[in-house]
Parts: sequence; C-alpha cells; structure tokens
Amino acid sequence: MTAPAASLNPAPGGGLDDLPGDLMVLARAAWPTADQDALPGLPGFIVSSFSPLAAELAERCLRRYFGPPPADPTRAEQTAIVLASTTGDIATAVAVAQAVDQGRSVPPLLFYQSNANAVAGHVAARWGLGGPVECTIPAGRGLPDALEVATLLIEGGDAAAALVILADQRRHDGDTGTALLIGPASWPPAAEDPAPPG
Amino acid sequence: MAEVAAAGQDREDGARVAVTGLSATSAFGRGAQPLVAGALRGQPAFGPVGRFDAAARRTQAAAELPGAPLLADELAAAIETACDEAGLDRPQRAQAVFLLALHTDAAAARDTAVDVVTNDTAGRVAARCGLPDPPRVYATACVAASTAIADAAAMIVSDRADRVVIAAGYLVEADSFALFDGGRVLARDGQVRPFSAGRQGMLLGDGVAAVVLESAAAARRRDAPVSAWLAGWGRAGDAYHVCQPSPGGDGLARAIAAALRRGRVDPADLGYVNANGPGTSFADSSEAAALHRALGSHAAKVPVSSTKALHGHALEASALLEFVLTVTSLRAGILPVNAGFLAPDPDCELDLVLGEAREARYRYALSLNAAFGGANTALLVAAA
Repeated sequence: MTAPAASLNPAPGGGLDDLPGDLMVLARAAWPTADQDALPGLPGFIVSSFSPLAAELAERCLRRYFGPPPADPTRAEQTAIVLASTTGDIATAVAVAQAVDQGRSVPPLLFYQSNANAVAGHVAARWGLGGPVECTIPAGRGLPDALEVATLLIEGGDAAAALVILADQRRHDGDTGTALLIGPASWPPAAEDPAPPG
Repeated sequence: MAEVAAAGQDREDGARVAVTGLSATSAFGRGAQPLVAGALRGQPAFGPVGRFDAAARRTQAAAELPGAPLLADELAAAIETACDEAGLDRPQRAQAVFLLALHTDAAAARDTAVDVVTNDTAGRVAARCGLPDPPRVYATACVAASTAIADAAAMIVSDRADRVVIAAGYLVEADSFALFDGGRVLARDGQVRPFSAGRQGMLLGDGVAAVVLESAAAARRRDAPVSAWLAGWGRAGDAYHVCQPSPGGDGLARAIAAALRRGRVDPADLGYVNANGPGTSFADSSEAAALHRALGSHAAKVPVSSTKALHGHALEASALLEFVLTVTSLRAGILPVNAGFLAPDPDCELDLVLGEAREARYRYALSLNAAFGGANTALLVAAA
C-alpha cells in the first residue's frame, strides 16, 4: 500500500516542496528498498542494469496508482515520462566503447538500448502512456530538475500528469533510483490509499 | 499555457516566441548560409568516413566536416554567432537561460574516473560564451534539441524566462557509427532516400546549431531583429514500442495537431514541412501516416522534404539543425529538395519536393522530429 500522497517524505535532494499547489504526488517508488532487493531482468536489454532499473522503478510506481498494466487509458494518454539520470547508462556506453576499441561488432541490441528513450518507450508501451517523452541528464540537482521539467510539461499543457524517474548508475557505488507519479490534485488517489488529509 | 498579461499588442506578443539569432554548422560548412546554400544546391554532403576507420562496417559513408573538429569549439562558435546575430551583450547572455542537447560523450565512456556519460563540455562551453551553466543536458535521442526548444518556449510563455539560448551538437564518431551499423539502419548504398521506394536507411552527419529565443516583449524592448516566430510546438508519445514508431503515426499526429492548435494555424496555411524522414522504412511510412492524420486532405498538398538526405542525421542535434534550416528556408523563400528519391512508395503519398529546390513564398512551416521510444515533436515556424 502506498503512503498517502500528502504525507510523502521529501525525496533525496528535495524538490517536492516546489510542486505547484494544484499538482501532487500520486504515487512513488524507490530503489533499492532493502539490501536484498534484486532487479528483475528486462527482455531485450543486456549488459547494463540501467534500463532494468528504470523499468522497475516505473513498474513499482505505476502499479501503486493504476494497478496492473495497462493504465486507465483516459489518464494514461495524458501522462508524460520524464526519465532523468545524473549519470546516464554508463555500463552500456562502456560496453560500446570496448567493442569499438577492440575492433568487434557492437551487439545489435545495444543499438537501441544505448539511449534512455528505449526503456522509456518500453514503459510507455506497457502502460499506454501517450504523453511526451523527455530524457535528461541533470547537472547535479537530479530529482528537483526532473520535477521542474515535468511541471513545465504539465503547466504548459503538453500533459496532465508525468511519471518522473530518476535512475542513477555508478561505476562503483551501485544503482539508486526514485520514481514519482505527479498529477493534478483532482485525480483520484491510488485505490488502496486512504484519502489524503485535508 | 500561461495567461498573457495585457491587452492589445502586449497581449498578442505575450504568447509569441521570437527567433532572434541562429547559427548552424554541418558538413556544408560553418554558418547558416552554407547550410541553406547546400539545401539550395541539393547535392548531398555524404562521402567516405575520414575521421576513423569504418572499413569493418557495413556502410562507410557519412556527412563530415573536413579535419578533426572539436565539439566544444564548434558549439562555442555557433553560440557566439547566434548571440551576435541576436545582438546579445555579455550581461544579457549572463541573464539568459542556456539549454543544451548532446550525445553521450565517447571520451567519458573511456575515462574510469568519470561517473557520468557526458563530460564537462556543457560547463566549458557555457563559460566560454558567457552563459550560465545549463540546468541539464537534453538526451532524448533524435528529439533532444526540439524538446529543448519546446521547453524554452514553454518557459518564455509562462514568464519563467525572457530569453533562452538553445544549442546542440553531434560530430560523427566511431561509437555511434558502430551502434547504428550494428543496428543495420545505415544505408548501404551511401544515400539517404526519404519517403522513396527502395530506401535503405539513414546516414550520420555532423550537426552543431544554436538558436536564441526571446519573448516578443523582450525582443521589442531592445529592438532586436526577429528572424521568425516560433508560433507553436507540440510533443506526444506513441506508447507503442522501444524503438519502432507507431505505424499509424499516432504520437506524431498529436504533436502536429498540438503545434497547429497553439499557433492557431489551419493546415491549409502550411507552406512547407521539414520532415523527420530518416530514410528508414518504418519511420518514413509512419510519418506519412501522421501527416495525413493531422492535416487531412492538405497532407497531399503541402510541400514536404527531409533534409537529412542532404546533411545526414545529427542525432541529438538534428532537430536544431533542421529548425535552423526551416527558418532560413522560409526567409530565403525556398523549399529544400527531398534528395535521393528513386520512385514513389504507396505508403508515403506526399507532395515531396523532388528534383531540385523550389522557390516559394509561404508564411508557416513545420519542423518534425521523432525518436526511439515513440517520442515525437512538431515545431511551427511563422514568418516575421
């Protein structure tokens, strides 16, 4: 069960306090949630944990709000995806660089996997999210910047809601991530959630 | 959309976004003029790859500048030119917002001390040009730069910014060449043939561009030259596949409709469409379907060309390069040719600009882009 949106703790790096008054966090998820948390594989994606991480964050967050996929089409059609990473997919970039430097062919699967759009497309197709897709590398302020991008999309009229994913993959420190579904306060809260206070 | 503040001219201008400076570098040379001249000549800029050994690849062609240009230098030069054209002094640059679209940095992938796929190019370029550090790098593949333009426009009409400098750069290099070769999407015949029967795929090309966007009120206050207006923009997703576009062009059609709606422009008033048209089988037919879906009967009448057949695909920078070419073509009164065409494809029934560039006077043009993940953008340009 998801915590009531209004009681969500600020994410690492802050940013939630900056959401405009008519937007709220409808659901959220994090990675990892325990020492034993294990990422499920993602068919068609190899070598790197980046895309599986982004997909799992999306899965956990969207299930809390929509239930099993696909999402309610009326709301999904208006939902954007903002996939931000302060690191990018380092493991895929390194695999490509090594193949090139060693004179080997690059595995065809890396062709699309090398860009974060691919996993965003996987999430969009699985859940029916028809809003804009935006992938960014924030300069330091990961989640606040991603929320700023999402707010701009919503306030500008390009989307009614946004799935915001921050997925970071470091060479030595392991993967971390957060996902938030932000949308209008007029949207019903997640079915399993108690009504937010006030 | 943000409310516009006042009545009369201010109200009209408050919802408008001015293009006050632009520049582009491509295999045709440095500056917007060589680009539009190349489009007028209609001769593709592709040749054998000279920057690295491509002998082991299925394709050996790309559109490259001669020598070994450095991305940071090319970006800084393009930004300087665009800012000079806009007449921005140092204080005005320092107060602008700077948005940047870049490809993954090949050097960063080889530097084990670096924990991010882009290096410090963004900060170094900003410092050289007197701009603030960009808040983020746009990495939305082939719509990265058009997404940055749309974000800039949204910032301007919502009064978050008066002035935004957008830049984007990609120079052909071995890693992405190997990726696209491995994905078997590069044209083995060394030509890009958008919307044509017998098309074999895309080819990569150098592209660096910079654009200055301002609110109409800010441009008017300092009597800035206005090259064109960004009259509308739209973006939408296909929700279809990791890398293939929706066959019916659903997301792109909604992006086009949104751009026209924002600009309050009827499809009948469009004079030109600079298509995404990478020259791949799926993408071109999907885009043709999107145009028919969004424009109705006018889709068969509006002149269309993909200039990727001339300058190649500059990945994260392609949309900005094509936006610059769309603006300069509108100003010059030309319709760039859809080069490489062999024969009609029944899945791409459009009024393609074939043979050579045409002269034409028109008021509105669309610049379209689409990317992996079903990301689509449409930018609507209006004559100044």
